[in-house]
Amino acid sequence: MIGILVAFTVVMTMVAYTVLAERRILGFIQGRLGPNRVGPGGFLQPIADLLKFIFKEDIVPDKSTRFVYFLAPTIATTAALMTIVVYPFGPDIHLPFTLPLVNTNTIPLVIAKFDVALLYVLGVTSVGVYGIALAGWSSNNKYSLMGGLRSSAQMISYELALGLGLIGVILQSGSLNLQSIVEQQSGHLGITGWNLFWVQPLGFFVYLTAAIAETNRVPFDLPEAETELVAGFHTEYSAMKFALFFLAEYVNMFTVSMLAATLFLGGWNGPFVHQLPWLGVFYFLGKVVLFLFFYIWLRGTLPRFRFDQLMSFGWKFLVPLAIINIVFTATLQWLGVFDYIGQVLKTSTGWGG
Amino acid sequence: MLALLFILFAGMAVGCAISMVAQRNPLYSAISLIGVFLALACLYVTLGAPFIAAVQVIVYAGAIMVLVVFVIMLLNVEEEDRPMRLRSLTPIAVGLAAALFAETAFIIFFVHWSPATPTASVSDVGLTSSIGAGLFTTYLLPFEVTSILLLMAIVGAMTLASRAGLLPREAVVVPGYQVLAREVLDPRTTPDLTPIVARSTGEVEEALGVEEAPQITDES
Repeated sequence: MIGILVAFTVVMTMVAYTVLAERRILGFIQGRLGPNRVGPGGFLQPIADLLKFIFKEDIVPDKSTRFVYFLAPTIATTAALMTIVVYPFGPDIHLPFTLPLVNTNTIPLVIAKFDVALLYVLGVTSVGVYGIALAGWSSNNKYSLMGGLRSSAQMISYELALGLGLIGVILQSGSLNLQSIVEQQSGHLGITGWNLFWVQPLGFFVYLTAAIAETNRVPFDLPEAETELVAGFHTEYSAMKFALFFLAEYVNMFTVSMLAATLFLGGWNGPFVHQLPWLGVFYFLGKVVLFLFFYIWLRGTLPRFRFDQLMSFGWKFLVPLAIINIVFTATLQWLGVFDYIGQVLKTSTGWGG
Repeated sequence: MLALLFILFAGMAVGCAISMVAQRNPLYSAISLIGVFLALACLYVTLGAPFIAAVQVIVYAGAIMVLVVFVIMLLNVEEEDRPMRLRSLTPIAVGLAAALFAETAFIIFFVHWSPATPTASVSDVGLTSSIGAGLFTTYLLPFEVTSILLLMAIVGAMTLASRAGLLPREAVVVPGYQVLAREVLDPRTTPDLTPIVARSTGEVEEALGVEEAPQITDES
């Protein structure tokens, strides 16, 4: 329970400041300032935004489908937040003062140890699309409907590439458990064992691209293309319900970044983690911030895809690439290359299950 | 605790299932069905089969139902009014339902009084590795047959969708326009959907057998 509370607070705070960082960095890229008036350097802007969202008038369209209209933001936010529980934020840490409280002084920095954590993440993410699709449908607005339809088509298409991109990692580590996948990537100084360096750069590319599409971010942000669809699926949403969609988008960004860091960049692994377990948390969150920065950078740099380009890119480029990666990884696994690498790196659990 | 969870999720599954049948709006039915799938997934977790639960959510709730919702939204299906059809089938339905309940009662009775105890440990059944081993050794043939079936479905769908692909690439004749053109020529004939492969208006005229394509004007 305490773990959930702490993780929730940390993630929420980081998400709030991602929004601020996005606005400031976009401002920098576009040669302007961005919000810098509330607090020193705009540091209190997220709190001001939140207060504004809470006190805004909540407008419900007259001809909307009430129940679904209220259900949609709930689904979006719940599905986005539910995946946080399986990510290992760091290695087991030892705190002397917790001994009388929970009868042990070893605290695992993961909320739920789950055997099929990776599948759980994929499943919960795939439910999240209903939030957007139903929001588009229930608003009774043609722009919302178009946004919802586009997003459903896009998310179905890219989910496939996303899942296929991850299969390489699963083949290599022989496990669906995120913790053991992270532990296998320790290597020398916590860097040399990363999956990114060992035959998975292709999988990393496929995953990262598909993840950007899954979170509806630039250059794949067609569901909310301002120039064509007003604001896409959340055109008719206002006040706190809009804030929930906004939150869901940024939490999704955060969770796919966490998954990328866990699977490809070694999770909490880094130099001297074994001596100072607390460092793991900072390494992990640092890697996540790196991905978030990459997202914002892309948004400031790239133009939007056309819809047919989006579809053909997903189906004709990413999916074949992912399948090539699977065949390649499976061949290496069959030849016993991963066992050899595991011996060289002297990792605790060894590769290849 | 487990019993409580079972009651919660089983109740959710049954409630959503009833709601699915009773709803008149197809989209509400679809949402109810998603609820059923999610509740079933939770039940699988309580039964110690997290892999099946995850696959249930990914495949049914995440993929198939998204397609269903997508199609409902795309076709913009309105609420169905419900005419009473096939009244003669009601007694058969009642009979079948009675048979189902009898079966369930029999199974419960049988399991309750059976002297045998389950041998395999529960925690071993739902694990990813045991499912994988089962799929690729004991049940390899059904597994492969199922994948061939799915492949056939995909190929069939692609064949149906790419009928127009039989035309050469440069042909730009749309079937609907084709019917319109023929109807303008002779309104009494039934619509002929045979496409005409042409690159210019002149070639179409030649293929349709007319000297000059009839002009559609505002006076007519």
